[in-house]
Amino acid sequence: MVHEDDQQSRREFMRAAGTATVAVTGVGTTAGCLSGDADTTEDETADAGDGTGSDEGTETGGDTETEPTGATLRYGRGAHSETLDPQNTTSGEVAKVTNQAYEGLIAFQPGEAALTEALATDWSMEGDSVTLTLREGVTFHDGTEFTAADFVATYRRFVDEDYEYYFEDASAYGPFTLGNWIDSVEAAGDYELEITLTQSYAPFLRNLAMFPSVVISQEAIEGDVDLDQEMVGTGPFELANLDDANGRIQLTAFDDYWGESPDPSEVLFLTRGQNNTRAQALVEGEMEIIDGLDPSSIDIVEGSDSAEVRTIEGINIGYMAFNMSRIEAFRDRRVRQAISYAIDTQAIVENIYEGIATQADQPIPPALFGHNDDLSPYETDREQAQSLLEEAGYGDGFSFSLTTFQNPRGYNPAPIRTAETIRTNLAEIGIEVTIDDRPFSDYLTYTSEGNHEATLSGWYTDNADPDNFCYVLLHPQCEVPDGQDWVSWDTEGFNTSNYAAWANSEYMGLVEDAQTTADQGERADLYSQAAAIAHEEAPWVYIDYAQEVRGVASTVSGYTVAAIGGPYLTNVSVE
Amino acid sequence: MVSKRFVAKRLLLLVPVLFGVSTLVFAILHLSPGDPAVAIAGQRASQAFIEQVRSDLGLADPLWQQYVRFLGDVVTFDFGQSYQIQRGTPVSSILAQRLPITIELAVLGQIAGLVFGLPLGILSAVKQDTVTDHLTRIGALSGISIPIYWSGPLLILLFAQFLGLLPTSGRIGSEYFLEPITGLILVDTLLTWEFDAFVSAATHLLLPVVVLGIYQMALISRMMRSSMIEVLRQDYMRTARAKGQGAKITVMKHGLRNAFIPVITIVGIQFGTLLGGAVLTETVFEINGIGTLLVDAINRSDYPVVQATVLVFAVLYTLVNLVVDLTYSVLDPRIEQ
Repeated sequence: MVHEDDQQSRREFMRAAGTATVAVTGVGTTAGCLSGDADTTEDETADAGDGTGSDEGTETGGDTETEPTGATLRYGRGAHSETLDPQNTTSGEVAKVTNQAYEGLIAFQPGEAALTEALATDWSMEGDSVTLTLREGVTFHDGTEFTAADFVATYRRFVDEDYEYYFEDASAYGPFTLGNWIDSVEAAGDYELEITLTQSYAPFLRNLAMFPSVVISQEAIEGDVDLDQEMVGTGPFELANLDDANGRIQLTAFDDYWGESPDPSEVLFLTRGQNNTRAQALVEGEMEIIDGLDPSSIDIVEGSDSAEVRTIEGINIGYMAFNMSRIEAFRDRRVRQAISYAIDTQAIVENIYEGIATQADQPIPPALFGHNDDLSPYETDREQAQSLLEEAGYGDGFSFSLTTFQNPRGYNPAPIRTAETIRTNLAEIGIEVTIDDRPFSDYLTYTSEGNHEATLSGWYTDNADPDNFCYVLLHPQCEVPDGQDWVSWDTEGFNTSNYAAWANSEYMGLVEDAQTTADQGERADLYSQAAAIAHEEAPWVYIDYAQEVRGVASTVSGYTVAAIGGPYLTNVSVE
Repeated sequence: MVSKRFVAKRLLLLVPVLFGVSTLVFAILHLSPGDPAVAIAGQRASQAFIEQVRSDLGLADPLWQQYVRFLGDVVTFDFGQSYQIQRGTPVSSILAQRLPITIELAVLGQIAGLVFGLPLGILSAVKQDTVTDHLTRIGALSGISIPIYWSGPLLILLFAQFLGLLPTSGRIGSEYFLEPITGLILVDTLLTWEFDAFVSAATHLLLPVVVLGIYQMALISRMMRSSMIEVLRQDYMRTARAKGQGAKITVMKHGLRNAFIPVITIVGIQFGTLLGGAVLTETVFEINGIGTLLVDAINRSDYPVVQATVLVFAVLYTLVNLVVDLTYSVLDPRIEQ
């Protein structure tokens, strides 16, 4: 990262002056003169994340105020935001909008999993102690200046029940991203934060880059602002109109933004629930960018000359978990391997997901560090499957029920057809599968209570860290009986996201070590070993990694498809 | 004559109807699988977190307590807040936003049906067994037979994609943002003198209204035809003609009014169906009325929204039928309430 001496001295000066001028900072900053260079070209997009560009913009801002290009960017998606409060949801749909108006201390680089600076310009983590230096001269949409106190208030609103303005409806991300890991947050002056963690936890900085960790204005939190309906962040766009009746949200460029002025003067988020209608709207020039495409809507976009399909490797996985807590046969590794050999995941990915996904072979998607490149998917091999079953004493087969959700999800565009393929494949080795399909909310209830025998499932990354897959989905997070590689579902403290109830001690040790190891190279090595165990032990049938697919009008330039964070719209220009 | 007592009696009857409907909805929701607390908390939540959400929502209480509380809320028209669709927003304000959208669509569809259906029906009756009659009847039969989920996309394909004359979906151009006054977009654009926005809304609503209207038109013209044929054979019609009154005036003055009665019944019953049919039309054309709201709320276990929406449907249906009954006596004074 580039944080040079001139910045350091400026920061020291500001810190000295800061405490004395708190009362006048709102009017005393050079807000409005920080718009920077608006002539951003497409090539600069790739550099936008390294931090230098934005700082230079701050330095040279005074005489370069220029008008944005004035274009309107219409972004089409499948569902409207249920709230505008990033702390009131776990929905990625909401994040698409809040990410435009709010910023976190740290951000993901557009289109990459690497971290870059945002409201923090520098940070360090040693053991359980994290220190962050905050950006100066940043204004919220309500005109107040951003300081460390805003982050403290944001954090307390999210997780601290003793805080007067604690948010009763705070989402599960409160404990998941911050609360479970943070012991205390202190503001050491206006532009310095000291966070003490409950344990040394390497992925923590990535949690700060997640959408629910964005900073909300303290004045808004402690005032009477309805954050479900309004957004008071520091981001490049501010809310102009929330039209729930027509599923639309209008954002306009924020004049006092600290970084480069965004290229579009206006962003509209429009809702079209059906994929094909959304694709038609794109092709007909009613939208510039759309997401949530399936094979059929991809055909519509590809068949037109006014738009194109763009893809990037996603950070997600679709899988089938064996519930070892319920089905005794699944506790035998040979049975799990036999089923992995019998299911033709290549056919599923190629014929059912029609090329918008690739075959999976381990819990860590290829876009993340720690992915083990030496592993390859289980080849479809019925003879091998049959002989493993016989070896395990299940040569005559057995039966189980396969729970699945009904509607398509990103990592599984056709759940019922996937389940049917699995049923057919397993019938060939004498295993009888009954399909138990449920609406998503029912599916979640059913599986979180451990009622499933086997289940189709999947996961989208929260923070682009392997821990988010390896620890969250395959670590039991509770006491495990000696010599047993599974746990009973009703074990005290059991992590119910571990749908397989798998508890391999060697794997668990590696994942725990990776949590407390600071060096990324060492962590990658630990995860790589953990992935090899997860592949060999097969607590899941690894099905696919889905791609991120967008439809983009040919009038658009400068758009980077991102698998995490975003959508990044500030550098997008429309002809 | 319309008697006040009759109206009061019918309105009183609403009470047991609504009680029955609300009990049924409550029972179905609570018997169906799926836990709103899990849906709200999401996949990242711990069991303790889910328990907390469940108890915050009062879903951990015994069912009878929840039922009593629910009835109490219904009586005071307090439907609570949405769990999922618009988090924390009172259901009443969500309905206030969405209901006018569906009503506008249904009323326009009904008007389109009447405007085209009535003349066609009369024409068909007067020109019974001619080519005009046959063509109209074939048209009507096709109109009833074509499902909305087929005619809708087909019209979009033709008018939006191939001809490029009309927008594909939505209710108004994305550039227009209006402060809702009545919630009826055509009315609001006129009230605010936004003529461009009015044109935009009108072009957006044209296809959905046509789709709804085709079905209504078909039904109304068939009903009008058979009713009119029957009226034309009545003695009083012959008497009017015998007294030297012109054919057109006889049909329009004496025939029409009497022929209307069965048509009004159909229109009344159909208005309820129209509200239901709006679910399909709204889905096809991506219009956020209460039809899509209900489907969405069911899918996401948003109990308060489901309960309130179903009750609104029940009230609307009952009221429309009351209006139909009242219209009879206006049209034909012989029918007393």
